[in-house]
Amino acid sequence: METTALSHIAYNLLSYRRKRYYSIIGLLVLLGVVIGAACSIGSADISLSDVWRLLLSRLPGVDIDNGIPGTLSTIVLDIRLPRIILAGLVGAALSTAGATYQGLFRNPLADPYLIGVAQGAALGAVIGFIFHFSGPVGLGSVPLLAFCGGLLSAVVLYGLARVGKTLPMTTVILAGVAMGAFLAAVTSFLLINSGENLHGILIWLMGGFSTSNWNEVYVLLPYVLLSLVPIYLYGRPLNLIQMDEEQAQQLGVNVEKVKLIMLLSATLITAAAVSFAGSIGFVGIIIPHAVRLIWGPDYRFLLPLSTVVGAIFLILADTIARTVMGAAEVPVGVITAFFGAPFFLYLLRQKKRVVF
Amino acid sequence: MKRLLAIALCLICLALPVTVACATGDSSAPTGSIEITDQAGRVVTLDAIPQRIVSLAPSNTEILFALGLNDSIVGVTDWCDYPPEALEKDSIGDFYPPNIEAIVAMEPDLVVAANIHKDEYVPQMESLGLKVIVLDPKTVDEVIDAIAIAGEATGTEDAASQLAEDMQARIDDVQSLVSGLSEEEIPRVFYVIWHDPLMTVGNDTLQDEVIQLAGGQNIFDDLSGYPVVDLETILDRDPQVIIVGSGHDVEQDATFQWVQNEARLRDTEAAREGMIFKIDADLVDRPGPRIVDGIEEMLELIHPELAGESQ
Repeated sequence: METTALSHIAYNLLSYRRKRYYSIIGLLVLLGVVIGAACSIGSADISLSDVWRLLLSRLPGVDIDNGIPGTLSTIVLDIRLPRIILAGLVGAALSTAGATYQGLFRNPLADPYLIGVAQGAALGAVIGFIFHFSGPVGLGSVPLLAFCGGLLSAVVLYGLARVGKTLPMTTVILAGVAMGAFLAAVTSFLLINSGENLHGILIWLMGGFSTSNWNEVYVLLPYVLLSLVPIYLYGRPLNLIQMDEEQAQQLGVNVEKVKLIMLLSATLITAAAVSFAGSIGFVGIIIPHAVRLIWGPDYRFLLPLSTVVGAIFLILADTIARTVMGAAEVPVGVITAFFGAPFFLYLLRQKKRVVF
Repeated sequence: MKRLLAIALCLICLALPVTVACATGDSSAPTGSIEITDQAGRVVTLDAIPQRIVSLAPSNTEILFALGLNDSIVGVTDWCDYPPEALEKDSIGDFYPPNIEAIVAMEPDLVVAANIHKDEYVPQMESLGLKVIVLDPKTVDEVIDAIAIAGEATGTEDAASQLAEDMQARIDDVQSLVSGLSEEEIPRVFYVIWHDPLMTVGNDTLQDEVIQLAGGQNIFDDLSGYPVVDLETILDRDPQVIIVGSGHDVEQDATFQWVQNEARLRDTEAAREGMIFKIDADLVDRPGPRIVDGIEEMLELIHPELAGESQ
């Protein structure tokens, strides 16, 4: 009797898990389709077949002469594609970072901007605007200093919040919020004194991808990939920490190490993402919750699912942002909130029984 | 009879305050008073020709100096950098929000405000007893109107009409040069304000009008305001001339550098033909007398062949 009941449970668990593996694979396929579709849409009138011939001609091992004029090739391969990839990377980064923070802080309101990293990056960006210079690998001073600002604020935060050898999460949040407010004050002060470029800086801070290029993709990609690995690896201990840090410790989890590595990884990808895209709201807080509502709270799956769904979501949002008003762009943050919030509320109504 | 007298007395009594009021009304308008309708449609009465003028916008400052009012201007903003004499004037601080206390402390008898101050700050200044006119030129014609209004308000009508005539004559010269252009000879112009994000000018901007007057067509004249645009759309519309609005400070040059170095813009006709230029942004976005310089410089950039003829 008992063994059959157990095996039944085990079977159910397995099939549940298998379902989620299938979900991840399905979502990755969907991501590919979304990238292809987003490449096919834009203000320039380029036929679907031309777009696909261009994309295929760039695949390794495929050697077809597409015979398509250079301008179209520039539009599809050097304007649309890097922009889409960058939006995907930023969406993946923000969404995964948000899920990680929510797990670490055991707080559903946590988002990548909660602990002052984005404010640090914004301050760096504004300084980059004011003291303009050209950095390495064709990067401007803005993303470079934004990245430094984000990382620096994380390091300072870690120093401030550490109590002995432990890192109490409440202290991290409180110190982070206070530091964020301080950095935002400095940013505002610099902004009102920045004169003619005020408008440009403000729009940059709102976030967007209007001039994304391959260099930015190449710089962002390693940071995102390097940070995702430890985050994924610690999904299981993060599950245990959800119950109680002490219990997790007793179960053999090195809680402090897990917290530190995950916090640093999440901070690193947030800083990198903000440096290239500004502060795009909503992705980091709502996508992890939507994933949790659909696939459950197991962090081993929640984290990678958040990555893929975040990427898909931000690519879709940016595609709408660059096409919905014709030639003029809408700030992508407006789109993420405008379409994302009602969808999330719908999910929330559908799954009312789930309590956070 | 008595009753008639009473009625007559009553009528006289009734009429008295009215006549008194009329009399005081007349006396409060001495021969030197000036009545002006400003560009916000407000009617302002000045008792005498202003001797202490405060300007709340760089374009206003340029107009006032062009009218020869150097001696009457007592205050300008931090942004008023032309003519050079403006830099020697005391500053009331930022253009927006204006520091009302600093303005009042200068004891001006005329404040020349801009449209942005109209709703909140103009009533506040008036309640403090200041005389305020609003100049709000949005087009080249309205710049000339603004000059006329400023001339009336400051007793410099002659200088104002002279300046307006000169400006109109120079605009007419440019028009006679570009009027003969056929449709194919009017180049598609992309005006860049900022590169990250990529910002340009729409149809309701002064820059758009300057481009048109100089015989060009703004490729984004289907948009309004200062929109952010996609690189893709720029390649699609393939500008023949790219003009970067450049300031005097370092970071504005960053936009010009970006435009010159951006590989993806090399597919435009402008890049192939070497038609990427910068222009002093103050000449084409400040609604002041130098807008004519802006039109002439724009003509030299987008129609060098015509500009040669005029000289």
